[in-house]
Amino acid sequence: MAGEYEHIISIRGLVNRFGNQVVHDQLNLDVRRDEILGVVGGSGTGKSVLLRSILGLHGPNAGRIEVLGQAIRYLEPGPHRQWGVLFQGGALLSGLTVQENVELPIALHSDLPVETRRELAVLKIFMVGLDLAAAAKYPNELSGGMRKRASLARALALEPRILFLDEPTAGLDPISATEFDELVSYLHANLDLTIVMITHDVDTLFSVCDRVAVLVNKGIIVDTLDKLVKHPDPWIQQYFGDPRAVRARQAARHMRPESAQPIETGD
Amino acid sequence: MSTYLTVDRQDGLLQIKLQDDWVFPNVQRLQQTLDEIMPASEQRVSFQCGGLRDLDLAGAWVLYERSMDFEELGIKTDFEGFRSSHLKFLQHIIDLAARKEYVPGFFDPQPSHFLRDGIGKIGANTIEAVDSVGYIARAVLDGIKRPSRLMIGEAIRQVHSCGVAAIPIVTVICFLMGVVLAYQSARQLEQFGANIFMVDLVANAIFRELGVLLAAIMVAGRSGSAFAAALGTMKLTEEVDALRVMGLNPNQVLIIPRIIGLMIALPLLTVFADAAGLLGGAFIGATVLDISGFAFSERLAVAINVNDLLVGLSKAPVFAFLIAVTGTLRGMQVKGSAEELGRLTTIAVVQSIFLIIVADAIFTVIYSRIGF
Repeated sequence: MAGEYEHIISIRGLVNRFGNQVVHDQLNLDVRRDEILGVVGGSGTGKSVLLRSILGLHGPNAGRIEVLGQAIRYLEPGPHRQWGVLFQGGALLSGLTVQENVELPIALHSDLPVETRRELAVLKIFMVGLDLAAAAKYPNELSGGMRKRASLARALALEPRILFLDEPTAGLDPISATEFDELVSYLHANLDLTIVMITHDVDTLFSVCDRVAVLVNKGIIVDTLDKLVKHPDPWIQQYFGDPRAVRARQAARHMRPESAQPIETGD
Repeated sequence: MSTYLTVDRQDGLLQIKLQDDWVFPNVQRLQQTLDEIMPASEQRVSFQCGGLRDLDLAGAWVLYERSMDFEELGIKTDFEGFRSSHLKFLQHIIDLAARKEYVPGFFDPQPSHFLRDGIGKIGANTIEAVDSVGYIARAVLDGIKRPSRLMIGEAIRQVHSCGVAAIPIVTVICFLMGVVLAYQSARQLEQFGANIFMVDLVANAIFRELGVLLAAIMVAGRSGSAFAAALGTMKLTEEVDALRVMGLNPNQVLIIPRIIGLMIALPLLTVFADAAGLLGGAFIGATVLDISGFAFSERLAVAINVNDLLVGLSKAPVFAFLIAVTGTLRGMQVKGSAEELGRLTTIAVVQSIFLIIVADAIFTVIYSRIGF
């Protein structure tokens, strides 16, 4: 499997139009193995459309998208077992408990005995920092942050290789947001995961992401943050020149050396 | 031996060399292969993990579970040659295992408490019914006390969507009902050579009962469900709460206009229904039964008077009230999940049709007692 494709996700010549409005024009993007790629862009630049195109939920006007070497076609089965998606609102099924929500993909894609299935689900629920009390609850009984964690547990249920996060920290308070960032870093360090996240949170960008893709002028500019900050594009300049971004960058500079260290393997 | 492991036994040490992919899709096979290995007399088990190609959390969990089985038998287990990330996994699992407890998931057999649940349900429904009556009274009172300007426009919109939009389907259905009635009554009356009395039967049945009943049932299906679904969705998306914090009473802007709108629309729809039913009867009379349009209308003038029309029309606002109240009330009771929305929408339709029939029975008894 590993030899068949060069990049985890590869997009060539993607075009998305809505009426006369061109959102993406000949967009190319490669996502490397095991990286955390942040996707940013102003409103209307098509961040969500890009994500939905990759997931096969939106049919692009032109272009070729490959995920794990498999071509993605609109509304046709993609590599379901190998990707997990955290939707913005969580998108947990409201009629099922958290436990059942996490069990659902396992039940759909395997014929494991009930007992095994349950324990695997519990494992994932623990992994995202929830407890059994939360597992027995329905999504509407959870706080926003817990709902995101539960949704993340569901996304991880099938041991995916790629994790898509759509605004993972939107609507969370700063403490929960930071915790969520740490959770993402932790999972990334311990599982063989490639993560693509749409985010507006500059703290997340600076503290978590390896590379950042900026959607500007119907195209995309991908680079590491250090280089992007110096990019001449006016929108990028404005975005990273914003006081919040500057502060986040300074904060990250202090933080980064610590978290960038290889995680201790324990005794 | 197996693709996933090889076993090596030597003086008191059972070495299990793991290989290939220990990942989620293989979990069941992994469990089976591991379960087959029973230590004979060995006191120690060593898992050699150096040859693993891939390991994920599920695979590590299988490994860990089996090692716990060995430990329970009094056999020491250890893991060798882990890649650092693999070891991290396993330690995570060991941490978690300490907290493991029972949580109900799918297909969990629940003990049945038929009687207890039944009685509980009756009680809950009674409380709910009392609660509903109070709620309706409150809503109507709110509407009367402080009529809002928003209400009128919304009510007119409802007249359109529940009444005008329903005219085609209601007229078609009542036309067909007229056809059916004419046929059936003619078959019986033929025996007496009294075909012309078919007009009496059709006109009375349509005017007094069937016109309004069919219109109401149709509207319950169309608009009752629409009310419940619309209000339920608004409840789920916090739109109702948004109205409330803007100082608008949801009873006034959501419930009252729908009640008023439907109470205007249904009587008007009934007129269309009655006319369509008569047309259906006349059509069959003219084409099949040899009763000309002229003969039909002549007989019609004798067969019914304006009271018969009024009997039907007088029921319409009451039916409309029942449909609108049930629909909106069930909608407002939605909370939590999308499934709840579906459940309450179903209840709204079933209940409003049930109430319509009950009310119709009561009307018929009362009207026949007072000779109306």
